[in-house]
Amino acid sequence: MAGVWVLGENREQLFELLSIGRSLADRYGTTLVAFAFQDAQAARDCIAHGADRAVVLKYKGQEGPLDVFLPAIVEEVKGKDPDMLLIASTYKLKELAARIAERLKAGLCSDCIRLVFNEGEKSVEMERLMYGGSAIQRVVCLSRPAMATIPPGTFEKAEAGSGRVKEGDVDEIVQTHESAVTILERKVRERESKDIREARTVICVGRGFEKKEDIKLAEELATVLRGEIAGTRPVTEEMHWLPESRCIGLSGIQVRPDLYIGLGVSGQIQHVTGLRDAKVICAVNRDANAPIFGVSDLGIVGDLYDVVPKLVDELKKGL
Amino acid sequence: MNFQLTEEQELIRKNIREFAAKYVEPIAAEIDENERHPTELFKKLAEGGWMGIPIPTQYGGSGADYLTNAIVVEEISRSCSSTGFTVSIHVGIACMLILLFGNEEQKKKYLVPLAKGEHMGAFVLTEPGAGTDVMAATTTAAKDGDFYVLNGTKTFISNGPLADTYLVFCWTDKAAGRKGMSSFIIPRGTPGLIPGEHFHKMGLRSSQTSEVVFKDCRVHKDNLLGKEGAGLTNAMTGFDHGRVGIAAQSVGILQAALDESIRYSKERVQMGNPIARHQAISWMIADMATDLEAARFLTYHAAWLKDQGKPFSKEASMAKLFAAEKAMHHTIKAVQIHGGYGYIKGAKVERLMRDAKITEIYEGTSEAQRMVISGNVLR
Amino acid sequence: MLDIIVCFKWVVDEAFIRRTSSGDLDFSSVDYKISEYDRNAIEAAVRLREECGGSVTAVTVGPPEAAKGVKDALSRGPDRAVFAEDPLFGGLDPSQTAAVLGQVISSKTPFNLIICGEGSGDVYSQQTGPRLAEFLGIPCAAYVQKLTVKEGRVTAERKVEGFIEVDSLPLPALVTVLPDIATPRIPGVKDTLMASKKAVIKVGKNELTAVPPPLLKTKSVRAARVERECEKFTAEVEDIKRFVAALQKRGVLK
Repeated sequence: MAGVWVLGENREQLFELLSIGRSLADRYGTTLVAFAFQDAQAARDCIAHGADRAVVLKYKGQEGPLDVFLPAIVEEVKGKDPDMLLIASTYKLKELAARIAERLKAGLCSDCIRLVFNEGEKSVEMERLMYGGSAIQRVVCLSRPAMATIPPGTFEKAEAGSGRVKEGDVDEIVQTHESAVTILERKVRERESKDIREARTVICVGRGFEKKEDIKLAEELATVLRGEIAGTRPVTEEMHWLPESRCIGLSGIQVRPDLYIGLGVSGQIQHVTGLRDAKVICAVNRDANAPIFGVSDLGIVGDLYDVVPKLVDELKKGL
Repeated sequence: MNFQLTEEQELIRKNIREFAAKYVEPIAAEIDENERHPTELFKKLAEGGWMGIPIPTQYGGSGADYLTNAIVVEEISRSCSSTGFTVSIHVGIACMLILLFGNEEQKKKYLVPLAKGEHMGAFVLTEPGAGTDVMAATTTAAKDGDFYVLNGTKTFISNGPLADTYLVFCWTDKAAGRKGMSSFIIPRGTPGLIPGEHFHKMGLRSSQTSEVVFKDCRVHKDNLLGKEGAGLTNAMTGFDHGRVGIAAQSVGILQAALDESIRYSKERVQMGNPIARHQAISWMIADMATDLEAARFLTYHAAWLKDQGKPFSKEASMAKLFAAEKAMHHTIKAVQIHGGYGYIKGAKVERLMRDAKITEIYEGTSEAQRMVISGNVLR
Repeated sequence: MLDIIVCFKWVVDEAFIRRTSSGDLDFSSVDYKISEYDRNAIEAAVRLREECGGSVTAVTVGPPEAAKGVKDALSRGPDRAVFAEDPLFGGLDPSQTAAVLGQVISSKTPFNLIICGEGSGDVYSQQTGPRLAEFLGIPCAAYVQKLTVKEGRVTAERKVEGFIEVDSLPLPALVTVLPDIATPRIPGVKDTLMASKKAVIKVGKNELTAVPPPLLKTKSVRAARVERECEKFTAEVEDIKRFVAALQKRGVLK
């Protein structure tokens, strides 16, 4: 027996993995199996979305740490010998994937963003980012199964087909072990203000804002992204809407966050000099010809007063 | 021949670079604009042991070598040359002179708090009529039993308004000529020692500079640094050490000018290309990088000679002369590369250019360095 | 009393990697550093020792050049270091790194708690910590941003999508920590000079039972992109969705 197996924490993740999983299963000439946690309906829906078989991992009692399933998953893999395991890169599943891989003595490609099937070797070459995003590493697993974690959003979701679901397609694996870990509580994340040079995400306020009070729009975005607010020189040193310590640019400070989002920032050279080392630069500006788009990776052409609330809503759904 | 820094020196450079980027760079423009001595920053420098690097640990220092000190002055100056200079004169002259010429009691009493960075030191030599011509000084210390009574006016004294410990050079016996000058350690608060008001300067604006006036200032003979009559030799030794510091400061300014020029010229597009691709600009940057390398090697070599216990007076002068003149030359070029943006207040190159000028003037003008060097090679 | 092990990796400082005109990566002028995540992990370990008493041992696996990293690590407060050193240890995959760390730790250093950075600054596989926990057969919590130790258990606030989960683990345990765990100190001059005087236990390859074969093979490493090519979106909701997906794909929505 063989197969391509996918494992995700929710249906969006599973459907995305099913789309790439389907194409790989077809290339291997094997079956596609989905594993869902606790939710039998999600498992059934996976079949509608292209899985040949689905398994629901059920807790004995209350939901708890995922590692209660670790021995069962490892046993299942050893018994059924799949070609490949694709697991959603969430915080918890990345940990679980590494632990499964260690028990199986399997190679694992973390945060894989592209998979290429090598016909000759019947293997999958996997690409991922390294060196802080400046390089792409291409790896192959030397083990069976090959394993990868895949960030949510990497692939389109598989579409639902009709009449696929039949009785008995969904198997159940009930928790076999207890975890040494006890979950005490779940808390909402708080936002604390820190030095913008240390921030991973910087939201920059430009002259596109009409008045000081409107900066709260940028703050809402910063809250969902756990980022810090910064400003251009006019906004800080001239209008004093933000402290000068938050001025990015030639006369301010240089930042190199993972993510920079300029809101209503035109992109004058003095400002751009301060952010060129950011990993991903995004801009929201009404003017499609604003220079900021010339140095950005992603740009939304639109009024920030319209775009930012939509963006905040969308991000809240995803995070 | 070994051009390799030790692992410790390399790690210390990384650490001070991180320190400067985190604590110095963000306030550099502000303290320049407001001519402010950043007390909070010097407290942090003291905590990390950066205010007494080459002083042995038993005297409150960090127990590293003089080359390490030069590297640290360079890296701080790369972010803020006022701060780099303040560290340089404090460590390189005030601390070093007490270490070299002070007695055990003086070291315990004055050097320990200086090297720990709890106290600030000042080097009090220059007078209104005595710059390069040290012998033209008029401040005197008249002997009165176990005491000396100082009278006279000193000027352009760095750390003058805020120092805790002043190293003062004046005549104890004018008739004795070169053997007639003596040096004293005088703590702040001694009656008759009157620090003046801060001078407003073109550059190096957060470094505090003033007159220091002596008006019947009575000091005990225990405050003599070294023997009576050894003042001039002490001052020259101080200059040798200090000049390595100014050379390092100039190297830091040069490095910053290069950093800024590279970044800006890759970013700024004119006539369809980043200006770095225009030969007029790229050649300026090539010259800047070459002179930086040369200045750095001269500076490190002078510091290394000092650490080896070899004579380094000529080399210190050469390093200081070369690095200072190149810093001035290339900061002007860096402003040129930035065009109008470089002429706007708040642009770093504008500050670098103003700060560079003083390196050709203090601790011996470029002309004085040429006197020292020619005196050495024409001997 | 807590005996803490903190693992760190000596990595290429990516700021020094250049791109040639042909799009290849140029490593000719690279410098190395302690992986940023691990600097925070070391700081967390040292602060925990200050709170609870005990010791901190810094452990690394690397080529002989990583000796400088050992000194750097020791200047940040650990009491001693264990350095598994071999020219081949520069290119291990996460499973091999975990196996070497596991053998070194079980033979050389008693511990109650192991702290690892969430991932390394170069490869960022985020596997070594959890694999090491499995190797040693101890409980594990990853992506922890706050740690407290009391009465034989560690309480770990771990980040998961959308909220914080507070876990309690019996010691001995392993945690991987996020940078939020502690801001690293900048070592003072004396810290650096003193680091040379601390004990470093070196372990050679021949002292290990076995270094397992690699499970991953790198076929190529190439520059990620030549320059920024702005992908444009409109203000329509569908486009905003695509924009968020694009952010997710680039791994910046952590």
